[in-house]
Amino acid sequence: MGFFTVFLFYPLAYVFKSAFVVQGKVTAVFFGLLFTDSFLTQALMNSIIIGVLTTVATAAFGLPLAFLCVRYRFPGKGWLQGLLLVPLVMPPFVGAIGLKQVFARFGSLNLLLIDLGLMNSSNPVDWFGGGFWGIITIEVLNLFPIMYLSIAAALANVDPSLEEAANSLGAKGLTLFRKIVFPLTFPGFFAGAIIIFIWAFTDLGTPLIFDFSKTIPAQIFSMTQDIETNPMGYVLTIVTLLVSVVALLSVKRYVGLRSYEMMGRGQHVGRREQDLKGWTAVAATSFLVVIVTVAMIPQISVLLTSVAGQWFQTILPTRYTTQYFATLVTHPVAGPSIVNSLFYSGISTAIDISLGLIIAYMITRRKFPGRDILDSVAMMPLAIPGVVIGFGYLAAFSRTPLNVFINPVPLLIISYAVRRLPYTLRAAYAGFQQTSVYLEEAAMNLGASPLRTMKAITLPLILANVIAGGILSFSAAMMEVSDSLILAPQDQYFPMTKAIYTLNLRLTDGAFVASALGVVGIVVVATCFFIANRLLGRSMGELFRAG
Amino acid sequence: MLGPSGCGKTTALRIIAGFYRPDTGTLKFDEAEISSLPPYKRNTGMVFQNYALWPHMNIYDNVAFGLRMRKVSSSNRVERVKRMLDLVKMRDYAERFPNQLSGGQQQRVALARALVIEPSVLLLDEPLSNLDAKLRIEMRSEIRRIQKELGITTVYVTHDQSEALAIADRIAVMNVGSISQVGTPREIYESPVSAFVASFVGEPNVLDGRIDAVSKENGLIHVRLGNNVGLEGRLPRDSAYEVGDEVRCLIRQESIFGNEECKQSFPVRVQEVSYQGQTEHYLLELPNGDLLRAVRFNPGGVLLKVGETMTVQLPPSKVMVFKE
Repeated sequence: MGFFTVFLFYPLAYVFKSAFVVQGKVTAVFFGLLFTDSFLTQALMNSIIIGVLTTVATAAFGLPLAFLCVRYRFPGKGWLQGLLLVPLVMPPFVGAIGLKQVFARFGSLNLLLIDLGLMNSSNPVDWFGGGFWGIITIEVLNLFPIMYLSIAAALANVDPSLEEAANSLGAKGLTLFRKIVFPLTFPGFFAGAIIIFIWAFTDLGTPLIFDFSKTIPAQIFSMTQDIETNPMGYVLTIVTLLVSVVALLSVKRYVGLRSYEMMGRGQHVGRREQDLKGWTAVAATSFLVVIVTVAMIPQISVLLTSVAGQWFQTILPTRYTTQYFATLVTHPVAGPSIVNSLFYSGISTAIDISLGLIIAYMITRRKFPGRDILDSVAMMPLAIPGVVIGFGYLAAFSRTPLNVFINPVPLLIISYAVRRLPYTLRAAYAGFQQTSVYLEEAAMNLGASPLRTMKAITLPLILANVIAGGILSFSAAMMEVSDSLILAPQDQYFPMTKAIYTLNLRLTDGAFVASALGVVGIVVVATCFFIANRLLGRSMGELFRAG
Repeated sequence: MLGPSGCGKTTALRIIAGFYRPDTGTLKFDEAEISSLPPYKRNTGMVFQNYALWPHMNIYDNVAFGLRMRKVSSSNRVERVKRMLDLVKMRDYAERFPNQLSGGQQQRVALARALVIEPSVLLLDEPLSNLDAKLRIEMRSEIRRIQKELGITTVYVTHDQSEALAIADRIAVMNVGSISQVGTPREIYESPVSAFVASFVGEPNVLDGRIDAVSKENGLIHVRLGNNVGLEGRLPRDSAYEVGDEVRCLIRQESIFGNEECKQSFPVRVQEVSYQGQTEHYLLELPNGDLLRAVRFNPGGVLLKVGETMTVQLPPSKVMVFKE
């Protein structure tokens, strides 16, 4: 608990205080500024709209996709489903780098359309004019696997006997879907939607890449320059926190009240997928192929950019090269950043696994006052956006030895650890829950002390869970953006994500080298996900549901 | 320990095992006080309702676990495990894993695991409730046989009264946290001390009435049932019964037919007949409208018919009277 007090409550309290107490006087005037200053108000509106539109778009794609994949079987479904998860292995803003190539005024897409005669070559469309739509596109493409997973998991958990009952009473097709299936899936869907909203709202990297500073996170980032003088940064941070907390509380409240999973009693036959044949199968497969391809455009474009020797006003690069990867090796920032990321993520994961195990054990196997509080506190970081923690740490510890301008490493590692702890905690918690207490009691009855029992019985049984949780935690830390951008001001401490961002700013070959580094990151994270998926199996979707 | 769900029998068992600490009182094995010992120092062997076999260890390792904790030498261990597996007839399965065994087989392994350590007390928590009916009967005589052979003090918890009657030396009937009666199966069945105990074993008829007269010398008690019909029953041992008290009269189903002629008899009308092969079940209507369930072994003759009237002889000794 002490750990949490220092690293969770104190920074938050500092932020709150700094927002309200200016030059010794308590005031809420700066909150008012938020609504009177038109720039800031617009930033707020932009962020909200980005969040909403992203959510709506991902739902529009995710819902039919989930329904299709859960209920039907068709050729190619297996590995196409796997590919759907590809967007998860890369932070959104890296995709933005690649996407700018594709969607630029003379980028690949427009050139293709011009070739096909669908566009006038003297006046090509500037798809992302200003960056607003670019942000939304990236968020949608990157986040819709999460929506898909949430809905798919909720859909798969709908007890078939509930549908059969409705069917036998006369409901079928669209009515059945509208009145029975969708309402039952809604809690899971809602939870996924909220996560996406929060993520899109609080994403820092993507607006920065598009140079679109009229969003709340981008504003917070720019205000890290004057934490001592300008309280607005704190205000914005609090607003972000509020948005996130309110959103998540609404999920908890709504979903908690209505848990529809497996409400049918007694034995029921597991749902069997329907086979699609003939042209419906072809249609389904093609639909999935299209979606997967579109979803992978950011990754593909990053990949192409990383090896593009010459790519100027042509649809695809005209010359390929590995020179950017070579640059990575010798570059003073890129190479070390990989090592840095591995180091930071490794240690934070180790912290997370240990803490996760201890806390999960205490919560599931022991009764003590404050148990529920500990549980909630440990899970709180899920509700707190990265920018909030980043800004909070930066400000709160600025006058202590942990000041990021002196040595950011401890705070970086701790910020990673605090924010990822919920993953390992949930994994360990699930492990302990699934392992019957009786197994431990049986060991104790036969003479094993509690410690011995843990070693011989409990740990071996939950090991898969713990490792899977650890891997997810590790890969999430590697991909971490907000805290990495805010808490690492100096080159030599850059984690990979900050290095990518900085490289992108370079003239001439910035985008290309950044993409190369991005590809390295993708490979590392994808490997982690792959291993974790093997170990965790189906429960990947559940880890992405809130609450 | 026998009783309905929630009566506290499992709680009591777990207190003996050491998983719960009692708020008051002490626990002794023979004369040794063990209330303060943690479960891993009590030398009890527990068989859990869901067997609790460790899935990541094979049968041999499961059974050998307790011996390893006691630092029994390797050769000694092997020998004892083998002997115990023989006893439960699971010797050939030593290399298998729990998820490869059926329910009955897992149960036997759980038993072996608890017994191999030669515990001072063997604790069984509804060990047969997850088995199908036929297997249950088979296993309970197995458990009885093994227990008798090894002579270990055993505490067996169940809610199944026929199971309890079948295998117990002594039964403690529990209700809402207290023990209602302790006795041999025969005592519990034939001399229950309360209506609860009497109705928990067997499914006796229950007739409500009010005391008319008490005759201590004869050990009889006269009860007025509904609609003014009188019934004479056996006066219970602890007789604090006053005229006018409300009481319940319990008559076991098997004691209605086949009695010799006696002073107390009733004309009854047959309401329902149910032929169940070995037995015949009847629903009989008493003159006052009360209904009696009666059962008799198939006499091989003609069944009674619905609507038929007959006379039932009911000696007072077959009528148990309780205040509550």
